[in-house]
Amino acid sequence: MAAIRRDILTDETARKNYIEGVTLLKQEFLGPTTTDLQIPGPPAQISTYDLFVVWHHYAMGTFTPPTQGDRNAAHRGPVFLPWHRFMLVLLELQLQRVLNDADVGLPYWDWAADGEAAPAAQPDSAVWDDDCMGGEGSPVSTGPFAFDATDPASWRVRVTADVQGQLVQANRGLRRGFGQNVAGLPTQADVAAALNLDEYDRSPWNTQSQGFRNRVEGWRPLAGAPGLHNRVHVWVGGDMLPSSSPNDPVFYLNHCNEDRIWAAWQDTFPGSPYLPGQNAPAQLDGHRIDDDMHSLLTNPVTPRQMLDPSDFYSYDDLQVS
Amino acid sequence: MKREELSLGAAPDAIVQRLAEGRAQLPAQGHGPGHGGGQMESVREATYRGHHIVVRTTYQLEVDGMPIVGHMGVTNDGQVHYHAVPNLGFTSAVDLVKQLIDTFPDDFEAGGHSHEHGQGS
Repeated sequence: MAAIRRDILTDETARKNYIEGVTLLKQEFLGPTTTDLQIPGPPAQISTYDLFVVWHHYAMGTFTPPTQGDRNAAHRGPVFLPWHRFMLVLLELQLQRVLNDADVGLPYWDWAADGEAAPAAQPDSAVWDDDCMGGEGSPVSTGPFAFDATDPASWRVRVTADVQGQLVQANRGLRRGFGQNVAGLPTQADVAAALNLDEYDRSPWNTQSQGFRNRVEGWRPLAGAPGLHNRVHVWVGGDMLPSSSPNDPVFYLNHCNEDRIWAAWQDTFPGSPYLPGQNAPAQLDGHRIDDDMHSLLTNPVTPRQMLDPSDFYSYDDLQVS
Repeated sequence: MKREELSLGAAPDAIVQRLAEGRAQLPAQGHGPGHGGGQMESVREATYRGHHIVVRTTYQLEVDGMPIVGHMGVTNDGQVHYHAVPNLGFTSAVDLVKQLIDTFPDDFEAGGHSHEHGQGS
């Protein structure tokens, strides 16, 4: 039976499962060390949760193709949506394993609903309550991911990107700073505007494209950038800003909602294909429908293999705007 | 894709094996496009009326004398972006560096590079 992904604000079971699951993954060490993953400093074991942080960073640093410096293996190009669907499915499988429940689904955060509130009221959303994600701070001091210097089991950032764009070891609490870099969250009108675009992507297949993918990723319209997905990263701030942003469990809530918007778009435009096709030039290597996507933890899959996730999960509600 | 096609490969033993196999394929940190000698070069290309345009822009960033050497690029519409803050674009490289100072406070404390290492509490 496929999992059903539900709203973290309205489904208490989904919320509790997610918090328990990521906490268990953060405390699970399968054996790989920082040295194995080219992170400088003395060797330290990396938790299963943090392996996903490392993967995201390396995918972002892999330029596709390496002859240019814009599109990477997970962002700024067509592969953005299927690559993150792949990443979320893999994390969901890990949650199901440690919770011993194959029906557990990632929850989503409908941030556009919170974006309807006045900017000053948005930090008061229930998603930041003590029984959900906790609040902001440096370090975060409330909720399940609060930092306690005296408790080795409290949530700690162990690997992070530094200003040079390299992964380094750390031992500190999670950081968030709501609305410090952008005034408000995306709105339902922003989501509706994306859903009006009937073409998945188009030339030049990067941050300047006018298609659906680039709108959801958040690079267009330029006057509203950062938009949608990017805007959520930037609004939460702190550890959601660098390439190591999966350090914050909110990362998956954001991407699950972005994936839900893609699912709603697929439902709206069933005849609109993933683009580019495999006959596109090699300059789009890594983004064509049958290209292997960057994978650190399993054998790679292709965008085509991620177009229908119904064997893994479905959403309880595709009313996204 | 069917669940069983991926679930076996997502088992802990399989992940460890995959990581071991893929270790040699990891890109060396700090050697992506734009790295080298503290200078970062961005290359923009476009075609206009049959003519091929190439614009090379070289950046050399410093904060308090410390070189900033991660990947930096410019899109054809003039937006400056930097690998370490991947969800933002800037109209000004100075604004970008201000954002880096805000985002990476540990790297700009006195002496810089003040990450605490190790797994102790």
